[in-house]
Amino acid sequence: MSMLEGLRFTAIPSPIHRLDPRVKFLLVSILFVSTILFSSLLPLLIIFLAQIPLILLARVQRAWLKTLRGAVTLGIIIFASNLLANYFYQGRTVTTGILELSLAMTVRFIALITSFSIFFLTTSPDKLSLALEKAHIPYELCFAFITAIRFVPVLAEEAQTIMDAQKARGLELEGGNFLQRIRNYLPILLPLIINSIRRSLELAEAMESRAFGAVEKRTNLYELEMTKRDYLALALSLAVLILVLYIRFRVPLPKYLLTPSRIL
Amino acid sequence: MKEPLTIVEIRDLTYTYPGADRPALREVNLSIERGEFLLLTGPSGCGKTTLCRCLNGLIPHFYSGRLEGEVWVAGLPVRETPTSSLAKHVGLIFQNPDNQIFALTVEKDVAFGLENLGYEREEMRRRIDWALRVTGIEDLRYRAPHELSGGQKQRLAIASVLAMRPEIIVLDEPTSFLDPVGAESILGIIDRLNRELNMTIILIEHRLDLVAPYLDRVVILNDGGIVQDGPPEEVFTSEETRLAGVGVPRVTDLWCRLREAWDRPGPPPLTASEFVKAIRDRLSRSSGSAAGDMPFKTIMRRKAPEAARGNPIIEVRDLHFSYPNGVKALKGVSLKIMRGEFLAIMGENGAGKTTLVKHFNGLLRPDRGEVYVDGKNIADMTVASLARRVGLVFQNPDDQLFSESVEEEIAFAMRNFAFDRDTIEKRTTWALDFLGLSRHRKASPFTLSGGERKRVALASVLAWDPEVIVLDEPTIGQDYAQKERLRGLLMRLREQGKTIVIVTHDVEFVAECKPRVALMAEGRITADGPAEEILTDPELLRRASVNPPEIAKVFIQLSEFSLPRDVINVDDAYDLLVDRLRGCEG
Repeated sequence: MSMLEGLRFTAIPSPIHRLDPRVKFLLVSILFVSTILFSSLLPLLIIFLAQIPLILLARVQRAWLKTLRGAVTLGIIIFASNLLANYFYQGRTVTTGILELSLAMTVRFIALITSFSIFFLTTSPDKLSLALEKAHIPYELCFAFITAIRFVPVLAEEAQTIMDAQKARGLELEGGNFLQRIRNYLPILLPLIINSIRRSLELAEAMESRAFGAVEKRTNLYELEMTKRDYLALALSLAVLILVLYIRFRVPLPKYLLTPSRIL
Repeated sequence: MKEPLTIVEIRDLTYTYPGADRPALREVNLSIERGEFLLLTGPSGCGKTTLCRCLNGLIPHFYSGRLEGEVWVAGLPVRETPTSSLAKHVGLIFQNPDNQIFALTVEKDVAFGLENLGYEREEMRRRIDWALRVTGIEDLRYRAPHELSGGQKQRLAIASVLAMRPEIIVLDEPTSFLDPVGAESILGIIDRLNRELNMTIILIEHRLDLVAPYLDRVVILNDGGIVQDGPPEEVFTSEETRLAGVGVPRVTDLWCRLREAWDRPGPPPLTASEFVKAIRDRLSRSSGSAAGDMPFKTIMRRKAPEAARGNPIIEVRDLHFSYPNGVKALKGVSLKIMRGEFLAIMGENGAGKTTLVKHFNGLLRPDRGEVYVDGKNIADMTVASLARRVGLVFQNPDDQLFSESVEEEIAFAMRNFAFDRDTIEKRTTWALDFLGLSRHRKASPFTLSGGERKRVALASVLAWDPEVIVLDEPTIGQDYAQKERLRGLLMRLREQGKTIVIVTHDVEFVAECKPRVALMAEGRITADGPAEEILTDPELLRRASVNPPEIAKVFIQLSEFSLPRDVINVDDAYDLLVDRLRGCEG
């Protein structure tokens, strides 16, 4: 959960937050592509470090660190599995090459998470939904997306209350084998599901009462407008993309910078 | 052209939900004039909510079923007009504010209806600004819904409906989840909409003491049909209302009971100040010198129960607790609850009441301070072992019901506590009988009504016979008869020597139970004592966002007639005043 916790948007007045979500999406996609294009430690490290100023500029370092902390386990797994696989593949020896490769894969993972964080931590779901609408995704889907986000805290609170109510009736969640544990959670899952069904009915009533689907072309309180700043960011992002592609495919880089991954 | 006077016209309306064997509404005839403030009340399940659904077309467009008769709203036939078109004329506000907020910011939620109707951005801005101003939440514009308090959420729900500028606003128990002061401020907003904007208000509410001052007209539904319709003074004093099991405002009830002893009583009062005015005239008219000589009658003080002495069953010392999100919920609470005592914990939303009682069975562990149950520090005990002695009944029964049958639901906890089969059988039968649920033994809890589900939840805790029973907001959404029944149950449990703790906003309910009262505000206990003392001290109550009971308001203002000041419920008030009124004649 803590990994997802880190992805929750908070409204902060920062240049990154103000960026048009479409431009931001492009920027993050470019970062994403770059991390995939390279697979050795140094360039990945550079990409990762290049993202840090963005994080700082957006003032989301605390949430970002929280996300990273949540990702530690997965990071260790990636490192260990790379190490082990190569250890057996290359004849049961640990070389610096193997270590470096495993480290590179871990850095790649962290860099990917960071680029996701930059996007989700700084883009209000409202704006995101608007961008999706502009991309001709049906409004019903965008609405479902927003509603899902809206009810995450409500559901979390409700789950906690249900858990407390059942514990107060002597339910013990720990202990027992795997099947037993699943059975233990039934008294929590069932009320949660039934309440959700009931809630969805109430929501549907409230939506109807607020004229949902009244006119063919609904309007939106917010609008997306590309400002000078957005065009600048767009140009910069494209420049970065071209630069990365150029370096990757046109510059004769030393072999050690391009060591292909054996695993990914 | 003058707008037509009648804004809602219902003729011979009969409606049956799909799959139901009897109609939810029977032969309803009602016409409502523009600008009326109408209260719709009646026992749970009488069809109030169903009637509201007919007003904006949820019936028959959203719910199918069989509809007979005609409904016109703002001149539109509901049967032929889609709900989305009616939304411009009728705004519906529901009980649970959480389930009617869709957007991620306040501003965007207010915009939701307007966006659906295709308004231009500038017009939307204007209307949003206006709606936020009228409901007093302008400074919350960019907040997320989960950051708002219950009262703020309900204001948002009103603002969101208001932005569509409907002529009629229908509110289905909008204040149930709010503390008394929060509820009063919501009602104040509704009243302003009615008086200043001439909006027609249709309000569903059980707590009539709260709403009595605002009403033009009262309609009482019972079993799907209208049994009373008229001005509040008439309806609240009629025999039919009493028979329908509707709890009329306390002062009106007191007036009715005193009527015989009170020659020329004048029109029935609806509020404490009206009552005071009437009785003050009457008392001073004939008393003069008599008032001074009148034998001073005091109410028989309930003696402190024997059990109240001795060791406390629960004791907390200097409790501090913060939630993971940083909210400091308890800031040094110390409290002793004696064996066999009946305690009510009251105070505003977010004062820490529920947080406190969750410490009694170890669901929450203090950051600092200790909890003792029967003299033992519980720091190392499990919730399961504590739950055996301290039974906690949560506010919403739907947060715990999950079994296939009522019987299974009640047995659940006893199985967890490893009771043997015979005991489980015996205790289940006892609990079903005690709560009047025997005929539902094999039924699924989900097919029962709200009040019945609440009783199943209570039964599922009482069954294992805990020494202490803690009830969180047991009266929320309950009608008068259900509350009376609950009060009876609590009294019987007391007689059995149980220790009872209730967490509640319901000051009238507390006034009738007369327990010990602890007031909480901002994570601290601000006052603690007998209900008669605490509930008659307006200063103490104000700090905890609680209002005095209606009867207490009366007696606080009658001090010049050498009447005791600490009277909080109708029975005691009647005993005192009936003698005085008779005495005046003699």
